[in-house]
Amino acid sequence: MKRTRQYGIFLAAAVWLCLAVLSWVYPARAESLTERRALAQKPGLTLGSVLDGSFMAKFETGAQDQFPFRESFRTVKAAASYGVFRQGDNNGIYLSQSHAAKLEYPYNESAADRAVNLFQKVYDGYFAGQGGKAVFAVVPDKGYYLAAPGGYPAMDYDALFAKMKEQDWAEYVDLTDCLSADSYYRTDTHWRQEALLPVAEKLALALGSAVPREESFTPEALETPFYGVYRGQAALPMEPDRLVMMTSPVLDNCTVYNYETGKTAKVYDLTKLDSRDKYDVFLSGPVSLLEITNPAGPEDKTLVVFRDSFGSSLVPLLVEGYGRVILADLRYMPGSSLQDYVDISGADVLFLYSTLVLNNSTLLRW
Amino acid sequence: MLFSSLTFLYYFLPAVLIVYFLVPDRGKNLVLLLASLLFYGWGEPKYVALMLLTITLFYLCGLAMGRWPEWKRAFLVLSVVLGAALLGIFKYADFVVTTVNGILGSKIPLLRLALPVGISFYTFQCISYAADVYRADAKPQGNFIAFGAYVSMFPQLIAGPIVRYVDVAPALDSRRHSREEAALGLRRFLVGLGKKILLANQLGALTESYRASTEKTVLFAWLYAAAFALQIYFDFSGYSDMAIGLGRILGFRFPENFDYPYCSRSITEFWRRWHMSLGTWFRDYVYIPLGGSRVNRVKWVRNILVVWMLTGLWHGASWNFVLWGLLFAGLLLLEKAVPGLKRLPGGLGSVYVVFVVMLSFVLFNADSLSQAGTDFMSMFGLMGLPGANGESLYFLRSNLVLLTVSAVGATPWPRRLYEKVSQSPVFAVLEPIALIALLLVCTAYLVDGSFNPFLYFRF
Repeated sequence: MKRTRQYGIFLAAAVWLCLAVLSWVYPARAESLTERRALAQKPGLTLGSVLDGSFMAKFETGAQDQFPFRESFRTVKAAASYGVFRQGDNNGIYLSQSHAAKLEYPYNESAADRAVNLFQKVYDGYFAGQGGKAVFAVVPDKGYYLAAPGGYPAMDYDALFAKMKEQDWAEYVDLTDCLSADSYYRTDTHWRQEALLPVAEKLALALGSAVPREESFTPEALETPFYGVYRGQAALPMEPDRLVMMTSPVLDNCTVYNYETGKTAKVYDLTKLDSRDKYDVFLSGPVSLLEITNPAGPEDKTLVVFRDSFGSSLVPLLVEGYGRVILADLRYMPGSSLQDYVDISGADVLFLYSTLVLNNSTLLRW
Repeated sequence: MLFSSLTFLYYFLPAVLIVYFLVPDRGKNLVLLLASLLFYGWGEPKYVALMLLTITLFYLCGLAMGRWPEWKRAFLVLSVVLGAALLGIFKYADFVVTTVNGILGSKIPLLRLALPVGISFYTFQCISYAADVYRADAKPQGNFIAFGAYVSMFPQLIAGPIVRYVDVAPALDSRRHSREEAALGLRRFLVGLGKKILLANQLGALTESYRASTEKTVLFAWLYAAAFALQIYFDFSGYSDMAIGLGRILGFRFPENFDYPYCSRSITEFWRRWHMSLGTWFRDYVYIPLGGSRVNRVKWVRNILVVWMLTGLWHGASWNFVLWGLLFAGLLLLEKAVPGLKRLPGGLGSVYVVFVVMLSFVLFNADSLSQAGTDFMSMFGLMGLPGANGESLYFLRSNLVLLTVSAVGATPWPRRLYEKVSQSPVFAVLEPIALIALLLVCTAYLVDGSFNPFLYFRF
């Protein structure tokens, strides 16, 4: 082998060695903003941890998370996956119609059964025979609009919706015709509040409450760029989304009581713009039990919404018709304990969960 | 520790190579031994003692064979029996107990010992040492550190190739290190790393998707079979490339282990090209000592059956491995009986080999015989599965480039192309760029925590 070619190969070795030395001395980082998670740290060396093997097990995870230029390497991997190997997804995230979306399949019928049974239990336990309206709606994840046209596998939405429609204790409201792929953030799983007035209208009509009107709200775009959860998982450079809040004088006067912290906040919690997930500006993010008080609403009308994170941006659009709105998330609190905290007799009730939760309903608790 | 891990690539290997080349020649075997024990102990701290016991046992028996030649047969038998006993206890005891319990309805308790990684490789290397010393093909190694370095040598410890003592004995005593060998070794290592991470691991992700699928189809079953046949080739040959490359950097020449086996035109030829170090080991230490083909027909058939049953068992303690080995025994006997099978016209021979080997790997990769049966029935449309669905078509489309690149990569064409373009002066510039790109992309896959299985935990 000619000497020039040997030197060429040693150039590769030099790059390797530089990266190795960098990985030894690179300062530790606490969290990944794009993936919204704490990064694993290299473990401390102790005799016990070596003998039981935990040091070695944790070392590789720490080395992965603390590797120099980690974000750039993740982008290189994503580019190789999508661009070179032409794979449809990277880490389960696919790109379609300028959206990043997650492969969500197959349809889990037993999970859907479990969710419906649990909702009925909640309805029978608190609302049956109380005189309030009961409405049930399913939020389609963005895969409903993106997967089939792009040739990506998806859960059997028709079967899931058919099962949801079968229940007879609440009025089922089909939301699929009110939404499109563009009703969702391009980089995130959630829907855009500014696109939800048709959804809110349909639900309000079913609940028999005041129908939200477009002229009642003023869209207010936030300056802070919003990088959604799928952007971090896709690891590709995607333009950020913009969060838009639908503000109104009614909402400005509402207060939101958080039963977890015992604190009161506004409907739009701007302190969450500094948090990992900026979508949390809507009703302060994932909270087990919230109560919105609307001084301008009818005092005797209460709405209880059993919801996941999609509800955080939708519910403010429904507030106008009620003096009080209770939001409970059955992923974070058992349904049976609701009565320990709030009086909900005679209230209207809305069950609003996404296909993502219904298809993985082990998270829901009675 | 895995080669395809950041711990190995960016911590262990650079540190070991720096120390190895800094110490004088007389200290290199000690560095190699200590590094190898650290490498092994990283994943299996408690089994370092078992490896040291094996090393000591064979080292002493080798010395004894040299010291008392009249007793060397006894020492050979002693070392082989003890080595095989350790292998038997840790690898085969529960398989035997389960089988006996199944046949007799007894309830003999299982030992439930974790299988020490690489035990089959290092035990076979030790047995080859004892046999070579017994046959006077090699002198007993008097230096415990040198012998320990041979048995535990990290480049080939957990996935081969099986290095026979006679092949590395001179280098253990004195070896030459050169810039050219190091450069060639480094290139070979990076190519192996790319085969493992960029091809084998992604093919492995496809096979896992099939296993995880609840909506299987005939198409998906064939995709699985094709993907696993390619995965195991690129995984195993990638590991061998990395081992051979590291060996060259460290001053050793390890035997080649794969020679484009999927281009074979008969199963006989396939086994001359697949896991060559294992094939030659069984030929030299089992088949020929049993009499090979220079015996009557019945004994010859027996020899073939014994060798292939053991070959199957070597890959794992399970009946599907036994069947897998016996399947090849049957095919080899058939090819001897019908010589025309080895001379099929045109590409028909390769089609026959690829088809048979692909089916054999479905059996190989099954967790049980019943799972293998289900997989075969799925492939041939006997499970009532649909031909295809959205999921299987997606996986076909999504992995088409990967499967095409892998299929072409399993032929000698890329090598021929490399030999042609490597004569160009521009290649002196392109080669380091390509190697750096390969290193960075492999690193990117590791940093992202991509699917990274270890296939040899049952070996």
